[in-house]
Amino acid sequence: MECMDIEVKMGDIALAKNADNLAALGIGSCVAIMLYDPKLKIGALAHAMLHHSPTPGHGSADTKYIDTAIDEMLKKMLTYEAKKQDIEAKIVGGANMFSILDSDIGKQNVLSAKEKLKKEGIKLAGECVGGSIGRSVEFCIATGIVTVKTKF
Amino acid sequence: MEKLQEINKHGALNASRALSKLIDRPVDVRVSEARVKKVEELASIIGPEEIVVGIHLPVTGDIEGAALLIFPEETAFTLCDLLVKREPGTTRRLSGLDRSALKEVGNIISGSYLAVFSNMLQVKTIEHIPSLSFDMFGAIASQMITNFAQKAGKALVTDIEFIFKPVALKGYFFLFFLLEQIDVVLGSLENHRKLIKGSG
Repeated sequence: MECMDIEVKMGDIALAKNADNLAALGIGSCVAIMLYDPKLKIGALAHAMLHHSPTPGHGSADTKYIDTAIDEMLKKMLTYEAKKQDIEAKIVGGANMFSILDSDIGKQNVLSAKEKLKKEGIKLAGECVGGSIGRSVEFCIATGIVTVKTKF
Repeated sequence: MEKLQEINKHGALNASRALSKLIDRPVDVRVSEARVKKVEELASIIGPEEIVVGIHLPVTGDIEGAALLIFPEETAFTLCDLLVKREPGTTRRLSGLDRSALKEVGNIISGSYLAVFSNMLQVKTIEHIPSLSFDMFGAIASQMITNFAQKAGKALVTDIEFIFKPVALKGYFFLFFLLEQIDVVLGSLENHRKLIKGSG
């Protein structure tokens, strides 16, 4: 079977099955949210930038926002007959790259991802967040294993 | 917009002259058009996993924004050889001294660009202390992008490429300003001109 590596760019989401891999490269204050159904071996990855969409639940599907990105991923996974109670989540990112930048965007992003997952009843299975380092993630759909790469 | 291109060109030249003086080498400069871009577009200029030095300087005053200077790893190492006066090719990691030398480069380049900018537009700009990050380009760029995307989807982004010997090494300078603020500044410039014309 031919497998694909799909790079998910900032603000996008993607869904993959079986032997495919999903990846998000060079994550700073953004968060990569990975949802996985181990029974069906399907997974989705969001490379989201900002915490809350300005008008959640009004039909806008702007996946640069964490809440709408999670909604969209769940919607897609449920069409493949995934069940919410089987889905587990992992989150990576939420750093602050410049110490002087009085920015808590990264922190807010992590918090908001956790809140949203809790609200949807999705179990958080793992996280690699915060600090001031850039990260890349690779999400292997066949196994559900998430690999985090840093410069150091 | 025409005025902005002119400022961009002069600012870039001034900045490259300052860099050339600092490293005692000729520096070529390539200026792309100052354009209003979706801030996200910045992410595609360099590979997201490429290791770079990013120097970030907040700008306040009449107009708020930020300057970001990007040097790919090899460029940063070469700059350190030149600035700290080491044998060429010997810098392989960044010490505290190297980091502060690179921040100074950030100060000088953005200072000389902004001097032209403030002068030609008659606006006050205050440059703040630089901070440095040595990491993946994607991570550094996305931090800037998110910062701006929170306030507005679009910004005036200008990029300048510095090219210098011994081998062709590149660096990039980006300036971010929110669109509405640029409009205000350009508008006031236009009024100012009309007033002068009217009285003459």
